[in-house]
Amino acid sequence: MFIRHEFFEKNAIFLLLGTLVTIAIGGIVEIVPLFTVETTVEHVEGMRPYSPLELRGRDIYVREGCYLCHSQQVRTLRDEVERYGHYSIAAESMYDHPFQWGSKRIGPDLARVGGKYSNDWHYAHLRNAQGIVPESIMPHYAFLAETPLDTDDIQSRMKTLRILGVPYTDEQIANAKADLMAQANPEADSAKLIARYPKANIASGNGHEVTEADALVAYLQMLGTLVNFADTNTERLQQ
Amino acid sequence: MSDHALTERPVVYNDAVVKKFVVASLFWAIVAFLVGCYIAAELTWPTLNLGLSFTNFGRLRPVHTSAAIFAFGGSALLGTSFYVVQRTCRARLFGGEALASFVFWGYQFFIVMAALSYVMGFSQSKEYAEPEWHLDLWLTIVWVCYLLIFLGTIMKRSEPHIYVANWFYLAFIITIAVLHIVNNAAIPISFYSAKSYSAYAGVQDALVQWWYGHNAVGFFLTAGFLGMMYYFIPKAAGRPVYSYRLSIVHFWTLIFIYIWAGPHHLHWTALPDWTQTLGMAFSIMLWMPSWGGMINGIMTLSGAWDKLRTDPGLRFSVTAVGFYGMSTFEGPVMSVREVNALSHYTDWTIGHVHSGALGWVAFIVFGSLYYLIPVLWNRKALYSVRLVAWHYWIATLGIVLYIVAMWVAGIMEGLMWRAYDKFGFLQYSFVESVVAIHPFFVIRLLGGVFFLIGGLLMVFNVFMTITSESTERPRERLIAPAVLAGA
Amino acid sequence: MENNVSDLVVGLMMAVFGLVGLFLVAGAADAEMYIFGIALSGFAILFDLGLIKRYHDRRDEARAAARGNTHV
Repeated sequence: MFIRHEFFEKNAIFLLLGTLVTIAIGGIVEIVPLFTVETTVEHVEGMRPYSPLELRGRDIYVREGCYLCHSQQVRTLRDEVERYGHYSIAAESMYDHPFQWGSKRIGPDLARVGGKYSNDWHYAHLRNAQGIVPESIMPHYAFLAETPLDTDDIQSRMKTLRILGVPYTDEQIANAKADLMAQANPEADSAKLIARYPKANIASGNGHEVTEADALVAYLQMLGTLVNFADTNTERLQQ
Repeated sequence: MSDHALTERPVVYNDAVVKKFVVASLFWAIVAFLVGCYIAAELTWPTLNLGLSFTNFGRLRPVHTSAAIFAFGGSALLGTSFYVVQRTCRARLFGGEALASFVFWGYQFFIVMAALSYVMGFSQSKEYAEPEWHLDLWLTIVWVCYLLIFLGTIMKRSEPHIYVANWFYLAFIITIAVLHIVNNAAIPISFYSAKSYSAYAGVQDALVQWWYGHNAVGFFLTAGFLGMMYYFIPKAAGRPVYSYRLSIVHFWTLIFIYIWAGPHHLHWTALPDWTQTLGMAFSIMLWMPSWGGMINGIMTLSGAWDKLRTDPGLRFSVTAVGFYGMSTFEGPVMSVREVNALSHYTDWTIGHVHSGALGWVAFIVFGSLYYLIPVLWNRKALYSVRLVAWHYWIATLGIVLYIVAMWVAGIMEGLMWRAYDKFGFLQYSFVESVVAIHPFFVIRLLGGVFFLIGGLLMVFNVFMTITSESTERPRERLIAPAVLAGA
Repeated sequence: MENNVSDLVVGLMMAVFGLVGLFLVAGAADAEMYIFGIALSGFAILFDLGLIKRYHDRRDEARAAARGNTHV
C-alpha cells in the first residue's frame, strides 16, 4: 500500500477526513443521479398536488404510523400487479413529502385503494376493522371521527410544500379553506374544487363538522387513481 | 525499577459520565424490551390496542424502535466510547465535566421527548428518524458536543497510536451525523409548529431514507458496536486482537461498502433498476468485510477458549459475534433481487432485524457491560456469575424462538401472497395470510418475553453488584512502555 | 479550577436554550411544541442549577481539604 496506516493512526484529523471521504462516495453516486437524470420521475399525465382535505388526511396517515403496516408501492411482480393493480411508478409519489412506500405489510398494500371501497366502508373500517373483516388485526381508529379537524394552518402547510417544489398555484392556496370545506360536505357545490383538483373525492361527513376521519377518507379514496395507465405504455414509463 | 516506571501522574478519568450511561442503557433496555413485547402482543391480540390514540401499534412501534436503537444501544455506545477512548488514549475526557454531563442529560432528554412526541401523534414517518424537526435539531447539538468530546480526547492522547476501537467509534459518530443531517432535512410549517415536511419526495426520498436507514444499521448498530467489541473482547479474554492487518482491511472496506447497500430495501419498486443493482452488488460484497470483523472478534479468543466455559459474560460477547456473522450472511442473501421478491414486506425482514438486534447488538452490550460494571464500581466481581449464565441461556432461547417464528411466518406470507390455484387465480386473500401467521406471532411474543426476563435478571444482578459493599479490585498499575520493552 | 471554562460555556449555552424554550411555549401552535418548550426550559433550569451546585460543592470540598478535613 502506498500509504502506511500509521498515517491515519497517528493523526486524528486525517483519520476523520479519510473516513468522511470514504463514506461520502456511495451516497453521492447513488442519490445525486436520482435528482439529475430526467427519466427517474416518469412523464405522465394526471398527477396533481393533494387537495387541502387530502393533504390533511395524508398528514394524519403519516402521524398515525399507517405506513408501518400498510405499504403504498405495488412492485413489478406478476402476483402483485394482479392483486393490487398496475405497478407503482415514481411519478405517482412525486409530491409525497415524505414518501409512504412502506416496508412491511401487516395489512394489504394501499397504493391503489382509491375507489375500491365506498366512503361508508372506510368510515366503518376505520372505526372498527374487525366489524368488517373479522380476522383483521388493525387497531380501532374511532377517535378520528370524533376529533374535529384543525384547519387553521392549512395555508401554511401548502405554502411550505410549495417552497419544497409542489406546484400549488396562488389560486389554490387562496381558496384552501373553501376547498377543504367543500370537499368535506356532500351538500356543497364542488365545481370549483374539482376544477382545481380533478378526481377529488367528496367525503361523506357527519353533517356538522369536519373530522379527521373525513380528511383521511378523502386521502385514501384518491390513492392510485390519478394516472390513467390506459393512456400510456411501458416505453414512456422506462426510467 | 518500579519507581522509574511511573513517569507520569496517573490520569484521573471521568468515569461518572460512563456510569450514568451504563445505568441509563440498562433502564432503556427494559423499556425497549417491554414495549416490544407489548406491541408484539397487540399484533397477536388486537384488543390490546385499547382503541385509544396513544396506545395503538402505529404510535407505539417507533417508541420500541427508538428505545431499542437510540436509548438502549445509544446509551451503551456513548458510555462505552467515553470509557474506551479515555483508557486507550490515557487521557481524561476533553471538554470538562459540564460538557460530558450535557451530552448525557441532553441525550436522555432527546430520548424522552421523542417517545412522548410519538404517542402524542407527531412523527416524520421516516423509519429510525421519526422525531420531528425540533428534536432533530436538539440531537444535532448534542451530537456535535459528543464529537467534540470524543475527538478532543483523541487529540490530547498520550498514546501515539489511535487504537482500532476508536476508528470504529469515530466512524460511527461522523457518519451518523452526516446521515442524520441529510435525511432529516425538512421545513417546518412554522417555527412554532412541530409539523414539518421532508425536503425530499417520492423516489428520491425513498433512497435518501434507505441510504440513511441501512447505514443507521451499518454505523450505529454495527461500526459503533464493533468498536465496543474491539475493546471488551480482548480485555475480557486477556488476549490481543487476532489480526492488526485484518482490522485495517475490514475497517476501510466496511465503511466504504456499507453506504451503498441502501437500495436493497427498495427492490422491485419504482427505484430505477440501475440503483437497485448497485445496491444489491454492494450488499453482497459487504459480506466480506463483515465476516472479517467476525473472524477478528472470534479468533481473539485463540489461546483462551477455556474462558468460554468459565466466563459467561465473555460468552455473551463471543455469541454476539457469531450472531453478527449470521446476520451479515443473511443480509446479503436477502439483498439478492430474487430472494427479496419473496422476503420484502414479510416477517422474514423482522426476523433478520432481530437476529441482529438481539443476537449481535444486545449480546455485545451485555458482554461488555458484564465486564465493565465491576471495574467501574470497583467490585471484585459481579454479585452472581450464575445469574449471568441463566441470563445467557434464557435470552438465547428467546432469540431462537423469535427468529425461527419469524422465518416461518415470513416465508409463509411471501409464498401465500404469490400462490396461484390450478385455475390460474390468486389462491389466498390477504387476510388469509394474516390468520395463518397468528400462531407464529404467539411464539415470537414468547421469545420476546424470554429476552425480557433475561434483561430483568441482568438488571437485578447489576443492581446487587453496585449496591453491595465495596470489595476492592486490585488496582491496575500503570506501567510505562519503557519498562515493558525491557529498557 | 480547570472546569471553569467548561462550566461557563455549557451553562451559558443551556441558558440560551432555556430562553428559546420559553419563546416556543409562548407561540406554540400545537401541544407538542408547547410541551417541548416547557420541558426544554425546565431542563435548562435544572441543569444550570446542577452546575451551580457542583461548583459550590467543589469549593466546600476544597476548603475542607485545605483545613485538613477537621471542619466540614
